[in-house]
Amino acid sequence: MKKMSVLKHLALGAGLCLAAAIASAATSPPDFTGVWTNGPPAPGAGAPRARGAPQPPLPMLPQAKARVDAYQSLVAESGASPGGSCLGTGMPGSMTGSGGYPMEIIQRPDQITIIYEAHGELRHVYFGDRNAKQEDRVPGRDGYSSGHWEGDTLVVETDNLADQVDQRYAHSENATIVERYHLNGIDDKGRRILTAEMTMTDPAFYSEPVKFTKNWAQVPNGRLLPYECAEEIWSERLSELAKKAGVKLP
Amino acid sequence: MKLNTLIASTALLFGLACSSAQAHHSAVQYDFSKQSAVTGVVKEFSAKNPHLLITLEVTNDKGPHLVQFEGHSLNNMYRDGYRKGMVNIGDKVTVNTAPLKSGVEGGYVVSVVTAKNEFFGMRSTSAQDAAKAQAAAEGKK
Repeated sequence: MKKMSVLKHLALGAGLCLAAAIASAATSPPDFTGVWTNGPPAPGAGAPRARGAPQPPLPMLPQAKARVDAYQSLVAESGASPGGSCLGTGMPGSMTGSGGYPMEIIQRPDQITIIYEAHGELRHVYFGDRNAKQEDRVPGRDGYSSGHWEGDTLVVETDNLADQVDQRYAHSENATIVERYHLNGIDDKGRRILTAEMTMTDPAFYSEPVKFTKNWAQVPNGRLLPYECAEEIWSERLSELAKKAGVKLP
Repeated sequence: MKLNTLIASTALLFGLACSSAQAHHSAVQYDFSKQSAVTGVVKEFSAKNPHLLITLEVTNDKGPHLVQFEGHSLNNMYRDGYRKGMVNIGDKVTVNTAPLKSGVEGGYVVSVVTAKNEFFGMRSTSAQDAAKAQAAAEGKK
């Protein structure tokens, strides 16, 4: 009799544990950890643009357009670009494609780290108490990103951006970007698809928010390659020093 | 004859000395809807980011002269089959390039056929595919 009672308690305990596990699984966010590369075009994105083909126009204000045009005129002949000088794309260019290179997402509950292979560009997305106070956030080309989950959708809000006229979605330092990431099924190659929707708001540059959608496809067992880029710059610097010192390069 | 050789050598060296100044720019000056294959002897080769750099000694109706090319990054070429040691100074190689829009010799290397007849790089670009499709469609009219 006593033995039966113990068994009943054990069964009840196991049932509760199972229910808790199911409840936890139902509320846990999806895991985006892995390496992701360019996926199929997002609906409404149109056919892939051929390299060098003109970009569709953006709702850019005249004063902002004048600055962007001045920048384009400056670099048009030489083809100079941030990437050509080993500088990362910056937001939102990093999330909209990062030059066609893959990215790696490393996910943990309080922080998501995104590594873009090109230039080893790095973004940290902080959750809850991991976030820095507004006054402690360092402005930069990728800004400061905080995240939260809305069901299975990761929402990333980015501010503290540097003014950038040197990318497709040029913006002022007051721009804010909201990204929404969600898993979006499997493509015809059997890869998980991660859809990223971007909305950038910048009243100093645009008459309305700018939107862009990008599909990433997971690379099974994928690895990023190292992206060393500044060797030539360093080599030229060493050569200058050697010349100044009147010695041969070691 | 010796003078000619000296002039040619000097020109080659001058070309090499000038070549690094052209490094590090984007691909806007290339026509990716076209493809041009150029064969030459490797005088300078650097597989790196953001762009591969290769200087070939090309012999054509202008005589032997240096032509500099840039191309996809080391990372992209690595994913498309390039491995260290496949291209060496002195090798005779063929580079498949998107030519310069300006018409000047040179271009953006999308693939290479090595001295050992190995291939690395992209088979074509999306712009070339689009141009071929358009040409095929026009041919059917």
